[in-house]
Formats: sequence, C-alpha cells, structure tokens
Amino acid sequence: MRSRLLPALLGLLLALPFVLLGLLALAEQWRWPAALPPAYSLTAVRSLLGATDNDLLAGLGRSLLLAGTVAVLATGGGLAVARALARSTRSARWEAASYLPYALPPVLLATLIQPFIIRLHLSGSGVGVLLGLLLVALPYATLLLRSFWTPQVAEYESLARTLGCTSAQAFRRVLLPLAWPRLRTALFQTFLLAWFDFGLTNVLSVGKVRTLTVQVFAYVGEANSQLAAVASLLLLLPPALLLWLNRPALLRRPE
Amino acid sequence: MSALLTVTSLTKRFGSQPVLLNVSLELGSGQVLAVLGRSGGGKTTLLKILAGLEAPDDGQLYLLGQDLRPLPPNERQVVYLYQEPLLFPHLSVFENVAFGLRIRRVPEPEVQAQVTAMLAELDLLDHARKAPHQLSGGQRQRVAFGRALIIRPRLLLLDEPFGNLDAQTRADMQQLFLHVSRQHQISSIFVTHDSREALTVGSRFAYLEAGQLTSFAARADFVQDPRTGITSELAFWRSVEAQR
Repeated sequence: MRSRLLPALLGLLLALPFVLLGLLALAEQWRWPAALPPAYSLTAVRSLLGATDNDLLAGLGRSLLLAGTVAVLATGGGLAVARALARSTRSARWEAASYLPYALPPVLLATLIQPFIIRLHLSGSGVGVLLGLLLVALPYATLLLRSFWTPQVAEYESLARTLGCTSAQAFRRVLLPLAWPRLRTALFQTFLLAWFDFGLTNVLSVGKVRTLTVQVFAYVGEANSQLAAVASLLLLLPPALLLWLNRPALLRRPE
Repeated sequence: MSALLTVTSLTKRFGSQPVLLNVSLELGSGQVLAVLGRSGGGKTTLLKILAGLEAPDDGQLYLLGQDLRPLPPNERQVVYLYQEPLLFPHLSVFENVAFGLRIRRVPEPEVQAQVTAMLAELDLLDHARKAPHQLSGGQRQRVAFGRALIIRPRLLLLDEPFGNLDAQTRADMQQLFLHVSRQHQISSIFVTHDSREALTVGSRFAYLEAGQLTSFAARADFVQDPRTGITSELAFWRSVEAQR
C-alpha cells in the first residue's frame, strides 16, 4: 500500500502545475472559494489562437526560431570550444573561466552588454537578442561537452586517421556519432535556456522582439490569468515534445 | 632483402625532455619487429611518429622508398593498433571491419565478400551483427585485427595490443597474430614490455630504453642482453627446477 502511495503522491505533485494550467485555460468564472471551475469553455483559447493578427502564434514562431538557432550555434560552438579546452595546456583554468557568465544574473549581463549591442546597431533586433543568449548558452554547452573530449576519444580519432579517414571524415564518421548522446542533451538544454529566458531577452529587445515567454509575462503583468494560462500551454508544447522525443535517453537505465 | 621500412636518426623531444634519441632501424617485408621496453621508454612515441600522429624533430622515415614525413596519417597505409581494441560502439562487428573499405568507397558487393571472408578467417562470422559491447575481450581484439588487416596495411603498428587480456586469451591472440601475419604477409612493429611475448611474436628484436633503441642481429643476442631480463628469468626457473 505504502509502495503505491508514494509514487502516486509524487506523480500528483509533478502533474499538478500542468493540471492547474489546463484548468485555468478552460475555466469560466472560477472564483474563490470554488475548488473547481463551475463551467468550462474554449473561448479564451479561440480568442487567442483564432485572432486575425495572431501575435501569440507569431511569438511562438519567433521563440522557436530564436531558441532553435541558439541551441544549434551554442552546441556546435560548445563542441569546438570544449575540444580546444581539452587540448589547451591550461585547460583547468579555461574551464573554470567558463563558469564566469553564471556569476551574473542574465538580466545584469544583458544590462552590461547593452551599450555594445546599441553600438553594433543591434538593439531591439533578433540578432542582438541571439548574441546575448549565446553569451549564456555557449559557456553552458562548453561545460556540458567538456567531458566528451577524453584521451580515449583522441585515440578513436587517431585510429580513424590511420584507417584512412581525413580529419573531416574522422569527425563525421567517428567523433560525431560518439558525441551524439551528449550533443542531444546540449541541444535540448540550450534550447530550453533560450526558450524560457525572459530577463535578458526583454532588456536587449527593448520590447521589440516579443517572444512567447515575453508575451506570457505581459499577460501575467496584466493579471489576465486565463490568457496567461493559454499562452503558457503553448509555451510548454515544444519542451514537452522535446522531452517526448528524448525519452529513450531519459529513461535509459545506467549500465 | 631490401628494407620495407628504414628509419634513420629519429629524434623527438617534448619540451626539453628527450623522448627518442637518434633511433635507427630497418624492417624487411613480412617481418615482425618485436620492440621490448619499459613504460615511458619512448615506444608509443616511436609508433605514433611512424603512423603520422606525431611529427619527429629530426630524422628520416622511408617506407618502400617513399618519404613518409610529408604524408598525413590517412595516406600512409600504416595502421596503429592500441592496447584497447577501440571498436566503434555505434557500429556492428561487420561495420567495424568494413570501416576502412567504406572510407575507400569500395563497391558494396566487394565489401560484403571481403568482410565475410575476414570474419570467417577470424572465427567471428556468428558475431557479425552484434554490437561491440556484446563481445569478449579476445573477440574485440580479433575484430580490431580484422578492421586493420582488411585494408591491407603496408605496415601494422601494435602498441601492447594484448596487455589487457588474461593469460590464456593472450596466448591465443599471439598465435592468431602469428597466423594472420604469415597468411597476409604483414610487416609489423610489435611493442611489448613482456619478453616472452616478444620472443613469441617477433622475427626481429629490439630494445628501447630512455629513447635509445638497440637492434639485435640475432635472437640469441636479444636473449643474452641482460636488459631484456630473459637470462635472469631463465636462471630463476632453473633454480626452481633444481630445488624439486
């Protein structure tokens, strides 16, 4: 009995935010002290998603493009920088330096780099936000991928070269497949980092790059909980999809 | 017999630390040069320079009359085998063996025929579809051999390849190595710190210590040299025998 109760409680605890979000999005006239909404309707969903000038879907597209680009650039760059770190004579120092961007909250980092973004004429543009997000995501991917470049991986590469591979072939046919599980994790996590960012994006975009996360915060600021819940459900879709696609790796038992 | 490999006055330093000092050697076609030496003596660096994975500071390297120094590793047709078999974990046994052929864009029917024949020769045909982690240590090392042999290397470099195997598997692998070396007329340099292994696999012998290589004209000279430790080991076993 006890062995079933604990997993059930844990499951409920994990599912509760999602259930509440769903209820908030569909609830009509849900007021204190009612435990559950008296009525349900799709009015809020229809009004947000069915609007002719659909800002929310445009925000979803912007967020997908921005977070996807950050994930690919940060992961690719992180793999290359991590390799350079592994080969460096002072790899431990460089690795420690990779933690520096995390000494600052993203909003403060954005405030510090804002003058440079303005001088580059990138303030309020998607490219400016992309650069800011990369400053956080690239060191993160580097730290995540640093453990891949072991001496054994170097031996794999050398072996492939003596078996006839050029450097590019050794990378594509040997290193990339070996790194793939870590690359997948790095892609996933840097995507989430950019996807859910609010502070840095809001500062660097000066309100012009309205990502989905920025829009959710705006609805929350307007105390419009139903619209905020619908937008949040949309916000959860890509991470949920990524989690589902990543489930073989996440559910794999350690050997 | 003209030499397949000629190494002259090879020198290598890491910073101020000399690793190889004026190393010279010759190897004929089909010969196995067993290089005995302790860890840190420069054995691995010598093999890496021959494979093109390290650049020498000085000296000449000729393989069948061709200067090796300007050639990158992939153009030398010299395969380096590590102590670990290093099978590619994302490929099956079949695809591991086929790796070098696929790189060379060998037509598919030929790949199928060559790999099947190689797996049969190494008694691995039943394991063709398995993943590397499903094999035993000895089987993995056999796959590593097959993957190297199938591209018909001009020179095979073995860096203590059986060092991680148990005694029985190690003895089996030494016999298998001798068999395939003769069968495929492979020339190789076999580095080991085990004098018995050196005597088993070698047709020529050398001793490498502190970056200096001593080549022996005959097996007897190798056995007699006190640095190889063979005479002292023989004396030990004789004393054991005498006490019985």
